[in-house]
Amino acid sequence: MTRYVIRRLLQAIPTFLGITILTFIIVYSAPGDPVLQQTFDPRISGSAREEFRHQLGMDQPLTVQYLTWLIGNGWQNDPEVLPRQGILRGDFGKSLIEKRSVLEMIGERVGATLLLTGTATLIGYLLGVPIGVFAAVQRGGAFDNFSRVLAVIFNAIPGFWLSLVIILLFAVKFREWNLPAIPSGGMYTLTASGERTLDLGDRLIHLLPPALVLATAPIATTSRLMRTQVLEVIRQDYIRTARAKGLTERAVNFTHALRNALIPLATILGPTITGLLNGAIITETIWSWPGMGRLFISANFQRDYPVIMAGFVIGAVGVIVGNLLSDVLYGFIDPRVRLE
Amino acid sequence: MLSTKKWASLFALLVVTSLILAACATPTPEVVEKVVTQVVKETVVQKETVKETVIVEGTPQVVEKEITKVVEVEKVVTPTPTAIPEGGFVTEVSFADAKILNPLLSTDSPSADIHELLFGKAVVKDPFTGALIPDLVEGWEVSEDGLTYTFTVRDGVYWSDGTQVTGKDFAFSFQALKSGQLDTPRISNVEYVEEINLIDDMTVEFVFSEVNCAALPDLELGWLPAHMYAPDFSDIMESDLNTEPTVVNGPFQFKEWVKDDHITLVRNPDYWRGAPHMEGFIYKIVPNATVGVQQLKTGEVDIYDGIEPKYLVEMELQEHLNIFKYFDDGYTFMGFQMGDPEDPQPRLNEDGSVNENHGVHPILSDQRVRLAITHATDRNAIISKVIFGQGAPLEADVLPTIKWAFNDALEPIEYDVEKAAALLEEAGWADQDGDGVRECHGCMYAEEGTPLKLGLITNAGNETRESIGLIVQDQLGELGFEIEFEPMEWNAFVTTLVGQTFDICIVGWTSMGVDPDDEGTFASQNDLPDAAFNFVSYYNPEVDALLKQAKTLPGCRVEDRGPLYKQVQEHIYAAQPYTFFYVPRAILVYNKRIGGMNPGSWEFRYNIHEWYVQ
Repeated sequence: MTRYVIRRLLQAIPTFLGITILTFIIVYSAPGDPVLQQTFDPRISGSAREEFRHQLGMDQPLTVQYLTWLIGNGWQNDPEVLPRQGILRGDFGKSLIEKRSVLEMIGERVGATLLLTGTATLIGYLLGVPIGVFAAVQRGGAFDNFSRVLAVIFNAIPGFWLSLVIILLFAVKFREWNLPAIPSGGMYTLTASGERTLDLGDRLIHLLPPALVLATAPIATTSRLMRTQVLEVIRQDYIRTARAKGLTERAVNFTHALRNALIPLATILGPTITGLLNGAIITETIWSWPGMGRLFISANFQRDYPVIMAGFVIGAVGVIVGNLLSDVLYGFIDPRVRLE
Repeated sequence: MLSTKKWASLFALLVVTSLILAACATPTPEVVEKVVTQVVKETVVQKETVKETVIVEGTPQVVEKEITKVVEVEKVVTPTPTAIPEGGFVTEVSFADAKILNPLLSTDSPSADIHELLFGKAVVKDPFTGALIPDLVEGWEVSEDGLTYTFTVRDGVYWSDGTQVTGKDFAFSFQALKSGQLDTPRISNVEYVEEINLIDDMTVEFVFSEVNCAALPDLELGWLPAHMYAPDFSDIMESDLNTEPTVVNGPFQFKEWVKDDHITLVRNPDYWRGAPHMEGFIYKIVPNATVGVQQLKTGEVDIYDGIEPKYLVEMELQEHLNIFKYFDDGYTFMGFQMGDPEDPQPRLNEDGSVNENHGVHPILSDQRVRLAITHATDRNAIISKVIFGQGAPLEADVLPTIKWAFNDALEPIEYDVEKAAALLEEAGWADQDGDGVRECHGCMYAEEGTPLKLGLITNAGNETRESIGLIVQDQLGELGFEIEFEPMEWNAFVTTLVGQTFDICIVGWTSMGVDPDDEGTFASQNDLPDAAFNFVSYYNPEVDALLKQAKTLPGCRVEDRGPLYKQVQEHIYAAQPYTFFYVPRAILVYNKRIGGMNPGSWEFRYNIHEWYVQ
């Protein structure tokens, strides 16, 4: 097991470097120029613009910029360029716009994002698992058909569209019709004197709509997966044995069938969480949720390269670690799986 | 009794007079309610001889004349106005969050909205005229050669930690910019500053390397508290004060900033102009205009600056909202590429000589084609339909609000399709094969038979510019142009624009400020692909010389500079490097519960310490 984990971690190093090189090239070669964006003013002279570019080290070749980003720029000995340590030494650089450490900016927002995605994952599993199990138990019945249609719809609806429709209907129109409306965004109601409302109900009404939108995809995936798994497990010999022993239907379904059917859930936990982080980027922007997603979106529009790259690194590490965890977890839960 | 009555009638007359004055003095529309609370009124008829001050419209003349009037006045029975209410919060809405609350490092307007309430500057714009007036300085003297400005710092201003604001702070802030330690485009503010000398604690001297009549606006930056930073400026970039500016000298102090959500400021009881009446000010971030408008309607937010004209009617229907319209210091235009878009080249070589390789645009380098396009574009229809009348037409590059430099003699170029067609025929563009698109038959620069086909770009997401683009595409199409209209993502747009690889662009300038200097957009040294903003490759050595002369004129008197800028406008008008569309009217909407607001077209937060919440 340990050897397996070590091997996987070693394999992750070239994967990670490959991802960073590719994303770096893509990000930096996309049209746009943060220097030009910040100096979009005819009164700023060309020479001041070039000096600013030099200070940011953005006049250097792409390879040098990549190395600076990766290992720092101490080796260049250029006093005019701001010093960098490189991500390998834990320095993700500074935002070109906010001039602050990227890690600090992410740290401020990671809590909000985890709250949103955590709630969405929880809702996804809590609703998806029972839906899948009941659908399998009543295979071919009305609920089964309903759950299949629901899964298709939930998988097909884009989150941003659903968000906009919900905001338009429940936040904007309901307010016009004087019906109880949901807030159109944010994490809490700001009181007239600038205090954050601490009321739990207020927090929930802000959290649940975007979390439910985010949860649609996991509900669909989980319920489909559970249905297939339960159906497969039910046909296994040990279930027949359990029935032959004279156990109650309840004990057969929930103690023997469900527990074994749950195993594959571990495999999709990693991908589900990274998928939610992706979805959160759009959802947070629409619901003005002050999390990382909005940070990365606005960084993208402003071509704030260090922040964008930090986003990719977090995503890459998330995928690599998530998949590794899933695999290790799998071997841990299911003794039939051997990790060599 | 009699005296009370007389007092009351005089008071009422004063109110009437002030209303008349308000009506004459400023062309600004909405009347701000000055409220005297707790009045019981009764109507009486009286005859009175009074002295009335009348401002003659259109001139700065003030005339005093005696008139006899029969007035029906509302008598104030309890004439004592109650005290202005203290406390309360006002919330302003914004789509974008501030980025950094350091006036030397920020470049975006949300950040400026906030740090301008925290940090005073040497000079600020007069809210009504835009002229630069002293703020944290008493005044300044300019040496005879025009190179040295000596500022006397205002006495009696203190930072919120009790330290006095002195010339050290002034000098420190600009020396920090000059040091090269700050990575900020603001370094261009000190580009022509040679030395910054602290003569004594309250006197600061700026020495410029050349006479620069547009220098003062460069000093319109907030000062940092020098005593909070290392004297060698090394810790400014890293400082926590950039996100939590705790030592300030403005009307408000920093309290809280939740990123992408809100910023809360609270009153500074020691503000040198007087402590604000309001308890605090909240800057609230909302995702889009719809939400902003809605929260304004429900009273969740109080102020919304820059509301789009399409919401104007909706806003006018709200009884609890005041609307103030003002002309923005910018304009929207359509620019024509006059260099070769296939091979963009700088106009000048490094030694200042003209670059022989600078090419021409096959179609747009001919002035007649550009003039034809302006004639063929119904600019009045664009103003009335796209921006619902919220804009004023413009014929050249200086804003009408800068009266001393604005050339009002330029005749508007009429919407005249026949004239446009005649100009195109004359320029050698005719449709002989009958396919609806003109081809070159003896035109100036293009090969014989080349179709009159041009690309048109603007930034996607800007509904106004996208609508203008569609109208232009349509109107030029009828005249025999083939226009390929492409709204582009902002970054791609900026790269194409400044890279000079486009044919026609629709874009606008904003925050142009109070000086008409336009070297940035029309001087040949700024025809520099990827680096500067004469991206239409306009070239006229005479204009270069005029702009230079007007900017470096000894004495910098507006009477001397004005005629030069008027000549520049004549050249621009004749050459039509741009089709000038309009100066947009910005719309500020605010809740009537805020008292004491008196917005000017250059600034509306300037008297925020006098605002109160009713």
